[in-house]
Amino acid sequence: MTETVDISVEFAGLKLANPVFTASGTCGYADELADFMDINQLGGFITKSVTAKPRMGNPTPRVVETDSGMLNAIGLANIGLDAFIQEKLPIIAKLTVPVFVNVAGETIEDYMAVVQRLATEQAIAGFELNISCPNVAKGGISFGTEPAQVTEITSAVKKAAGEKVLMVKLSPCVTDISVIARAAVEAGADALSLINTFTAMVIDIETHKPVLANKTGGLSGPAIKPIAVYLVNKVYNEVTKERGMPILGLGGVRTASDAVEFIIAGATAVAVGTANFVEPGCAVKIIEGIKKYCVRKEIKNIKELIGCLG
Amino acid sequence: MTNEVSKPNKGMFDAVVFANKQIRQRFYRLGLEFSGDGAAAFGKAKAGQFAELDLSSIALPPTEGIAEDLRDVAERKILLRRPFSFCDVSSRKEKTRVDILYCAVGPATLRMTTLSAGKSVSVIGPLGNGFQMPADKKMVLLVSGGMGAGPLIHLAKTLATDYPKVEVIAFAGAKTKTELPFERPLDEISQQLGFSLHEFARYGVESEVATDDGSAGYEGLITDCFSKWLGQRSLSAKDTIIYSCGPEKMLARMAKIAEDKGIDCQVSMERMMACGIGVCQSCAVKCRVEGSSETIYKLCCKDGPVFDSKEIVFKL
Repeated sequence: MTETVDISVEFAGLKLANPVFTASGTCGYADELADFMDINQLGGFITKSVTAKPRMGNPTPRVVETDSGMLNAIGLANIGLDAFIQEKLPIIAKLTVPVFVNVAGETIEDYMAVVQRLATEQAIAGFELNISCPNVAKGGISFGTEPAQVTEITSAVKKAAGEKVLMVKLSPCVTDISVIARAAVEAGADALSLINTFTAMVIDIETHKPVLANKTGGLSGPAIKPIAVYLVNKVYNEVTKERGMPILGLGGVRTASDAVEFIIAGATAVAVGTANFVEPGCAVKIIEGIKKYCVRKEIKNIKELIGCLG
Repeated sequence: MTNEVSKPNKGMFDAVVFANKQIRQRFYRLGLEFSGDGAAAFGKAKAGQFAELDLSSIALPPTEGIAEDLRDVAERKILLRRPFSFCDVSSRKEKTRVDILYCAVGPATLRMTTLSAGKSVSVIGPLGNGFQMPADKKMVLLVSGGMGAGPLIHLAKTLATDYPKVEVIAFAGAKTKTELPFERPLDEISQQLGFSLHEFARYGVESEVATDDGSAGYEGLITDCFSKWLGQRSLSAKDTIIYSCGPEKMLARMAKIAEDKGIDCQVSMERMMACGIGVCQSCAVKCRVEGSSETIYKLCCKDGPVFDSKEIVFKL
């Protein structure tokens, strides 16, 4: 029955088998999840951030749980571009699912270095430009909160990205996310992903100190979902709809219903993040759930659902 | 021809609760039974490894059943899984039983106390690396602080089975008598067995107890108790190995004692974790790089939780 439903989507020129990605930083570089899920069943896969040089990341504690969510301040800990190419790219090359490399850095040159080196790699479908990480002293979110900086970094990276899809990941910690979205789109972004985490804090009332060593962290999980749905809908209406540009919606997606909500709001696809920590492989369940929803609602093609908010 | 499919070494499995017993005050012992692939994976679980339990949908005990000082924290909703090491693993008739020693102190462990026999729990594991036993050791010293006793009880069993000729002695410490996570009342033990804890004695392992306030055994830190004991014995350092699990400050002291005596020492570390499988990068442990002044972060979940004590840059 569910076979008769078409849940494939077009995403910035890519044909995706379904609209479900895993979000950056929640599934490593794919090999870590091998015992829990078949990555190739996903619509798309986004790697942990890659920076030009390896990064140790922040001191611990790096995470703390909150009601229906969690704060993280990992600090973009990653193996760096060279090790990524040597150790992870061969694994990624064997995948059939389109893979996006999440790219971060402290300077525009850092971002460019990663994108230029990877732009000719067949194994990669595109890049997700991380200009919204709240947990690093330099770079990260500072690139994603000023429209002029968004324009500068997006247009520079777009040139370096060549034929690859360039998706820009937006922070919700701005006055008007549509202004930032428009800056990215007009500078050459092929797709937008939103939202990254909210800057937040948890205080230890015994010690009067923040729980995280970094003091603040990014809030993710079910707690942020209604805000994420709203912001996706806002950007869809104000920026991407008229341009026919896809949004990857994320923020608290844990169930098929959550995914459907984002799609109704205007997302072409969704990414599962924090939920992977609780149930690695839940993305596959979400894909099945979306099919069942379509059957129940007699939706033959999921494209009918994108941005259908009444 | 048999159509044999290789069984995974780890995964996400549903386990069935077969026991959940309050052993004293806030200490409980949860028994989980695995079948099928879960039984195969957990049947190979090593002492020092751990599992991540999803306790988010388990009900809290009624308010009157929660100690007053925990009622506020109990109200917190939980999202992430919680990591637990094992105090026993046994396989029989294609089933594997895993015992977890835990202390009900927060929103997840308080929920855990309401798990009754027959209930199903989602478990990811077995995860991480357990204690490594070099073949040439003749004496093993197990040193625990508080809840750290759990994986060392499991290790005592493994050693009794796999290395019956090795002499094993356990040292268990806590702040006070009621915080020793052992089943039998210590007064009874002190009278009958001279502080030989049943949990270790059943594997032929003698034990020493210390409490900070002197309410049971040696008065003072377990590390001081251990040092004193060590000073009275003439051990061959190269034939001896220490395994330790407990608070980080205690592990740091153990590392120092071991280093001073030239004894190998493995410590089981603890960090806040989100995934437990090496993707979230939350549980970083600062480690020395051999032959260099550099430090790197390793992951408690994937590279540990058991580390060589010489590697760790402890947080003090």
